[in-house]
Amino acid sequence: MIHLKKDETKTMVAVHGWSGILLGLLLYAVVLTGTAAVFAHEIGAWSAGHVTTQSAFEKPIDATVRRLAALTPAKYQDDVNVFEIGDHGLGVFFHRHDVDAKGKPAERGIYYQLDNQGRILRSVEGLDEDVFGPRNDDALSSFLVDTHVRLHLPNPWGLLLTGILGLAMLVAAISGLLIHRHLFKDIFTLRTRANPVLANRDKHSVAGTWSLPFAFILAFTGSFFSFFGTIGVPVVAMAAFSGDIEALSEAVFGNPGTVDARPVAIGNLDRVSADAVRRVGEAPTFMAIEHFGRADSKITVFHNPKTSDIEPVVLVYEGASANFIQAKPSVGTRPSVGGTLTGIMGPLHFGNFAGMLSKAIWFALGFAMCYVTFTGMRLWLVRRMDEKGSFAWLERTLTVVGFGLPLALTVSAAAFLITMPLGSSVYWTPAGFLIASALVILLSIVAPSNAMLSWTIRAATGALMLLLPLLRLLAAGGPGWGEAMAVGQPVIVALDIAFLLVGGWLVRECWRERRPTRTPEPTLDRVIEARS
Amino acid sequence: MTLPTLAALLLSAIPIILLCMGDPKRLRAADRKGSGMTPSRRRTLAALACVPGIACAIGGDAAAFFMWLGGCAMVGWAATFCFRTRDPDSVS
Repeated sequence: MIHLKKDETKTMVAVHGWSGILLGLLLYAVVLTGTAAVFAHEIGAWSAGHVTTQSAFEKPIDATVRRLAALTPAKYQDDVNVFEIGDHGLGVFFHRHDVDAKGKPAERGIYYQLDNQGRILRSVEGLDEDVFGPRNDDALSSFLVDTHVRLHLPNPWGLLLTGILGLAMLVAAISGLLIHRHLFKDIFTLRTRANPVLANRDKHSVAGTWSLPFAFILAFTGSFFSFFGTIGVPVVAMAAFSGDIEALSEAVFGNPGTVDARPVAIGNLDRVSADAVRRVGEAPTFMAIEHFGRADSKITVFHNPKTSDIEPVVLVYEGASANFIQAKPSVGTRPSVGGTLTGIMGPLHFGNFAGMLSKAIWFALGFAMCYVTFTGMRLWLVRRMDEKGSFAWLERTLTVVGFGLPLALTVSAAAFLITMPLGSSVYWTPAGFLIASALVILLSIVAPSNAMLSWTIRAATGALMLLLPLLRLLAAGGPGWGEAMAVGQPVIVALDIAFLLVGGWLVRECWRERRPTRTPEPTLDRVIEARS
Repeated sequence: MTLPTLAALLLSAIPIILLCMGDPKRLRAADRKGSGMTPSRRRTLAALACVPGIACAIGGDAAAFFMWLGGCAMVGWAATFCFRTRDPDSVS
């Protein structure tokens, strides 16, 4: 494919191998949770037993927002964000621009959480970073997303770390492309029972080659999101807005216009959402009201991409009259290449631009990325099998992360299903994950061999996955298959079936490995034994 | 939206699977020498596999194009796995 000189190839192999082995375990964690997070919305509906299918924006919201405005102090009524939460309930955040304890721009206000009947479930007052935490009914999906986005590290360190991991993935993809001389010749060659180096090389390179375009796309868009707020915005603000991030946001993402602070009641929000649905063909995902209750108020309505497109739709309305003004690009006020590129970053990263089919394909691509990362580290180890003494610990670490992480995520799902009815899932979902992780690490210390460690973790994961649908039904009180289908939530049934199939397959594989006739996957231990 | 994308994927899946079945290196690794496809036939099948994606792109259907691209990657990977070589002493 691309021919490099021998010493250049050697350097590239070193870059590829060491960048992978140094950051591969963290990258694997980010990619695996990202793969699951493709279905975060569906996992939320499955785990919390959501049975409503009509969007909150397809029901009247105008009276609700006015009622909440009457309850809210005037100091928080500069801007309002309206969005869906839980089982198609409504989240409404009345706020004003402020600064946090470190002097950074933030939003301070009152966040109302309403159910799908318009009843206030909870209201929280404070800065945006404090009020938008996980809730009892979305603790599992929030946990998945937060692990993927910032590995639960405080801002900005978590975002910086995941951004660096994205860049490492980009480096690995480019160096992998350069060192693989027979990219297309080898694309169909998978010798699973060849010698360990060849078998692992084939597994890694075949999956890597097929998913190469998406390795670039997912790594680049992921890094973009991580570095956007942490580095990009502050640097641009410093260069062009004298460090004023608020002014940058207003200029780049806002709706500039003549200031008119006269008090004028907000227009009919139901008219705005009905018009937005008519123009786009589906309900909005988010509504932002600037200068609430003023003559210069603007309402920005955000939608998923239209059919056949991957760029999200943003519509702008006059706040006072609720009249449509324009379709706005994601960046700036006029269409531009930069605006379009920024707009498509999200759909290309999350795969949420065409319903379940695009999500399913992105999930499979995410799984391929996990597989490439895992088999790459395994190949690095197998190539150094003569140095067993130095790298046996790394093989166990790889098993702990590679198989232990799915187990810990499954335990966190089980913990959520058990504790959600008790109202303590926000605590127990991450606690379950940590307890399972600690047990896996402990097991890795006491297990007699890596093969035994791997077998135990996979068997436990399979058994627990088989239990998840039962826990959902019996412990969490979720809807049965008949009820879920009747209310138009087939995703609940689909996820139950997926857990049963994957769990059943894992248990079956582990059961078969106990038979002496079946040769298990070669491990460093066995390879060394066979050689001596 | 879903049906045209699935149709494009299916149309590309056929040549991809044929390419996999007739891949010379895969067949050599399986010790089935001499039964691989000729380069011209492989090029033709590869071009045919790209036609639905190009049609999506020319038609301005960006969503279908990206789903087709990702779907083809997964079809190719799955086909390679299904036709994997199981012989213990394969050639390198």
